[in-house]
Amino acid sequence: MGGAVLQYVIAGLVLGGIYAIAASGLVVTYLSAGILNFGFGALAFFVARFYYYLNTENHWGIVPAGLLSILVVGPALGVFLYFLLFQFLRMSSTLVKVVATVGISVAIPPVTTLVFGNQTILKAPGLAPQPVRVFKFLGVPVTMDQIIVYCCVVGIMVIGFVVLRYTDVGLRVRAMVDSPAMTSLSGTSPNLVSVGVWAASIGLAGLVGVLSAPIIGLDAGDFTLLMVAAFAAVIAGRLRNLPVAVGVGLAMGIAGALVQYGLPPNSSFTAAVIPSIPFIFTALFLIYFIFRGGGVNEEEGVGGALDRAIRPQGGEAQVVTASSDRPAARSVSYRAVLIGFALVCLLPVILHGFWLGLVAQGVAYAVIYLSFTMVVGEGGMIWLCMATFAGIGGLATAQLATNHGWPVLAAVLLGGVIAVPFGAVIGFLTIRMGNLYVALVTLIFGLLMENLVFSRNIFLNLGIGVNVGAPDWASSARVLSYLFLAIFAVIAIFIVNIRRSTTGLALNAVRWSERGSKTLGISVLQMKVVIAAVASFVAGIGGGMLAISLGVALPANYATLGGMVWLAVLVTLGIRSNVAALFAGLSFTLSSGVALVYLPKAFGNVPPILFALGAIFVAKFPEGTLAMQARQFREIGRRYRLMPPRQRFLMAGGGLATLAYFILWVIEVPHYWWIALIIGSVIYHAFIVWILVKGPMVAVAHAGGAPAGAVVPGQAPTLAASANGMAAVSSNGPVPERAPSEVAEMGLQ
Amino acid sequence: MSEAGSLVVEDLDVRYGPARALLGVSLSVDGGKVLAVLGPNGAGKSTLGRAVSGLVKPKSGKVVFGGVDITGWAPHRVRRAGLTYIPEGRGIFPGLSVLDNLKMATRQVGRRAARQAAIERAIGLFPILGNRSQQRAGSLSGGEQQMLAMARALAVDPALIIADEMSLGLAPLMVDQVFDSLEKARNQGISIVLIEQFVHRALAFADTCVILTRGTVGWRGAAADAGREVLDQYLGEATAAAESAAAR
Amino acid sequence: MTTTGVPSVAAEAGAVGRPAGGPLMSASNVTVTFGGVRALSDVSIEVGANTITGLVGPNGAGKTTLFGVLSGLLRPDAGRVTFLGEDITGLTPQARARRGLARTFQQPELFMGLTVREHLVLADRVRHQRPRLWKDMFTAASLRRPDRSENERVDAILELLSLQPIAHQMADTLPLGTSRLLEVGRALAAAPRVILLDEPLAGLDVVEAERLALALRRTVEKGDVSLLLVEHDVGMVLSLSSQIYVLDFGVLIAQGPPDEIRHNAEVRAAYLGDEEAVESRTSLEDHHEHQERHQ
Repeated sequence: MGGAVLQYVIAGLVLGGIYAIAASGLVVTYLSAGILNFGFGALAFFVARFYYYLNTENHWGIVPAGLLSILVVGPALGVFLYFLLFQFLRMSSTLVKVVATVGISVAIPPVTTLVFGNQTILKAPGLAPQPVRVFKFLGVPVTMDQIIVYCCVVGIMVIGFVVLRYTDVGLRVRAMVDSPAMTSLSGTSPNLVSVGVWAASIGLAGLVGVLSAPIIGLDAGDFTLLMVAAFAAVIAGRLRNLPVAVGVGLAMGIAGALVQYGLPPNSSFTAAVIPSIPFIFTALFLIYFIFRGGGVNEEEGVGGALDRAIRPQGGEAQVVTASSDRPAARSVSYRAVLIGFALVCLLPVILHGFWLGLVAQGVAYAVIYLSFTMVVGEGGMIWLCMATFAGIGGLATAQLATNHGWPVLAAVLLGGVIAVPFGAVIGFLTIRMGNLYVALVTLIFGLLMENLVFSRNIFLNLGIGVNVGAPDWASSARVLSYLFLAIFAVIAIFIVNIRRSTTGLALNAVRWSERGSKTLGISVLQMKVVIAAVASFVAGIGGGMLAISLGVALPANYATLGGMVWLAVLVTLGIRSNVAALFAGLSFTLSSGVALVYLPKAFGNVPPILFALGAIFVAKFPEGTLAMQARQFREIGRRYRLMPPRQRFLMAGGGLATLAYFILWVIEVPHYWWIALIIGSVIYHAFIVWILVKGPMVAVAHAGGAPAGAVVPGQAPTLAASANGMAAVSSNGPVPERAPSEVAEMGLQ
Repeated sequence: MSEAGSLVVEDLDVRYGPARALLGVSLSVDGGKVLAVLGPNGAGKSTLGRAVSGLVKPKSGKVVFGGVDITGWAPHRVRRAGLTYIPEGRGIFPGLSVLDNLKMATRQVGRRAARQAAIERAIGLFPILGNRSQQRAGSLSGGEQQMLAMARALAVDPALIIADEMSLGLAPLMVDQVFDSLEKARNQGISIVLIEQFVHRALAFADTCVILTRGTVGWRGAAADAGREVLDQYLGEATAAAESAAAR
Repeated sequence: MTTTGVPSVAAEAGAVGRPAGGPLMSASNVTVTFGGVRALSDVSIEVGANTITGLVGPNGAGKTTLFGVLSGLLRPDAGRVTFLGEDITGLTPQARARRGLARTFQQPELFMGLTVREHLVLADRVRHQRPRLWKDMFTAASLRRPDRSENERVDAILELLSLQPIAHQMADTLPLGTSRLLEVGRALAAAPRVILLDEPLAGLDVVEAERLALALRRTVEKGDVSLLLVEHDVGMVLSLSSQIYVLDFGVLIAQGPPDEIRHNAEVRAAYLGDEEAVESRTSLEDHHEHQERHQ
């Protein structure tokens, strides 16, 4: 009997040790770089897969394969990502940090598939030679793999302690944690230290990957779940306390083992509880923190007073509205919105069959994305569990419509209503938390729901889900698409209506300054709970619509980690705009359709990679591509008006020709419409570059907010520079943002 | 008039977002001399220190140190060039031990032996730090923290020290200690830019003086001539400005 | 507040609660401790009706802490805060705001997604309208025309502060001086009885500072509102205020009209570090640690 407990504890300690290593990798980068790396699990997966590729597929020896994977590839990835991304993130807002690292976690798994192939690997060898030797310890079998994990945990802790405490490198890292500004003033380049820390952290991720592969197999989702479990330990250490994080990591492993020992082995309850243990730990810690400390906020205490003093002011303000141009800041201008919506309304006419189905799905996604627009865009709250609300709506729709005989549209509506209390409660509980904690808590809530509720057989139906039919009168895909577009329009108008009302002003106020709102007499609590409730309603509706368009409500379609991909898609196009949500939904489904139909099977994952890259580069272009395009249009319009007639004629003719070509193509060969799209966009971009390079150079304030006729000295070179850079994108870079304030001052004095 | 340790700032403009912190500020210090930078809070004194040391990038203007244009250099490069900035509110790592603080300060010194010697010399200047070498720097008293900040600066033989509000929040006895330690730096031939709120103490110590008002240089001249002017700047001129505004 | 319209709520509260001629707002014997260290000890101040009261002191003297206590963002360990005759020590910032207390911040806390005018409109509506959350959601609220009295009040404030030319500009494009004006405007639009101004002049150039000082003076002359002004620029405070309190190391070291303060030796010592005056400060020596922690 005692031996049996010991056996569970030994297994639990292995998992706990892996949590502990992951937690230390996460804490180290959080402390020294201010970034909690949501991509940690995906990076661990990549290195583990690389090791499998070398060791199993190419028969390298364990030692060279392990050394190359853990000591070379992992750290090299860290260095690469530092230069690509992390170095720009330090000063960014929490939203940008979260989204960019979520982008990594979304991009890496498909990249891995692309590189190493798509086969499912259920059993992967670890660092122990095969067959794995088994030893007896107090009468209990212990595998070589387990012993290696123990050695690694002890080794990492000892090496980590010695390096940090007694070496010069460790001193520099500790100095960085204390204050990057002081480190710099002491003659040490913070960048160099950061590179080292990132290399070490991703190296640890690689070690975690290789060590866990024998336990959890080689599935990207499982690795992300493992990382999320490590988040529990990190939260317990309040993001900063390394020893506590390590201790809690170990404790969680053991607790899991003991629960497993105590519960009946074959019940579905046990199967649901075991993976939920880390999340239950997190919930307990957060409740404890909130009742004891009155709130948790990561923003206190990163760096010293000096670091805060030299942080550029208004940095947060640049997150979503990098533009000072009023229409662009609110949304894309109304004319553009209407044109965009009208174009989308044409789609069901010109598309057929498979593609038409994708349009309906895309609009359903667009409705879900509207809920992101509200919570993240309007409310400024980073919620990673919107997929869960959509799931509540979708699964409820299926239950009500199919199992209880409700009319399907009424079921969708009630599904949305059912999601509301969940949203309101989450909004209420997270009210006093810092942004990063909110992101973590909502992620964990989503996974908990997925594990405990969505996995019940009543929803799962043996893995095939519950069927949902469209209403009889909307059984044609074309009618369904228009029905969905109408629902989308109603919700979008609802959102615009709130945005422009007093309540909208107050919501906007709370989003930008809680202190300012409170002292004005606005109730921050009420605002946040309301927006959370409304957004979860919208997400629930969208989830129901998605179920209808797919014909089935399947829990897997509402996976929390899948929701992170959705966020990446929306952020790529612009998180604040309704029309961006529509385009995001459509491009999500249509681009996967294009990849599915036309690309070789191995490239089926390209669209998510592109969207993830979009999310990653939100660090540099925070407003999203759609707002950027809108500005580009305005810029071109301005140039156009300044052109001599001959050039104007040429340009207008070229534009019309492109459009005509596209339409002709669509009518003639509907199946290859996307080729026309690509060629059309190439011509379009060639036009932009041509105009920017050859067009008249006039010194105009870059943003439209400037009074008419105001000429800002020094503005022309910026435009010229961006034009010469050829990249249409760079003309929207952050450089000229100061101009409007200068203009404003001139206007005042 | 030696070029080593001299600092020339020309037409410096600094902004924090929408706030204009410095507007066309020019000043200079000769090698081995002491310049006092005075002015009410919010006048841009600390911003001047941060801009010269590279912590914030100036919008325009020029910083020339020892004859070399260092405008826009990263702070660690500026420090290695011999310009040490002791920021406002304790220029130390509060979370590290006293010894680690000194080690960080001397990292730029090449060899291990030379570094050890530099640390020992710093402790020699402020013996009390030797007794506290394993203590967390944040747990030292305010005066001791400033001594540590000064020791960190002096350990590497800088050519110029910018000392930002070192006497801030210290009791008078501690303020004396701060000025004693500045005296040690001056005796080593180091130029000093002294940013201070205790006007009379600063003027008694400095050779020349610059008074900043709302981001611009309000007055400059020999420290000895500054007495009356300074008081006006603090308590007089602003009064006049407000009254003229009211009259308008 | 003749031009901006007296809010009925505040007027009633004032009439009921306030003893005639007494202070609008007062803090008595306020003590605040951070981690066992005193940031404020036993500080009492009063803000009279329709006046500008100044609060000065060197860096870290506890001015911002006292402001936190007055506006409700900080709870004092001991002492009471009264407003219009009512004890508000335990009230939240929102509750205080609804009773007619407004404030500005050292770092302007503007709403970057709103225009200048919308700031004032929002403040005005929070004060003058019932919460209309459900109505806003389920009626065509965005098409509703604002009523005339609201427009008049808002326009009056825009004019008072000369903000009309930039009324439709987004707040994130404003230079610091204008941001501070807008914060004052937002506070005024909430039709308060007392406005707490936290270093409104910091970071402004001479022209901007003059313009703001002028606006503050006009505000008090025009309306039934009092200002409590925290400021580093002693000269400016001396010229604006009728009553001044001086804090140093968390202790009130002087209070009185400007002329008295100007010639107070202890105040000069605190600001200038005069050798002769420093002696009188030695009694404060044991406070120096507080100050450091507080910073």
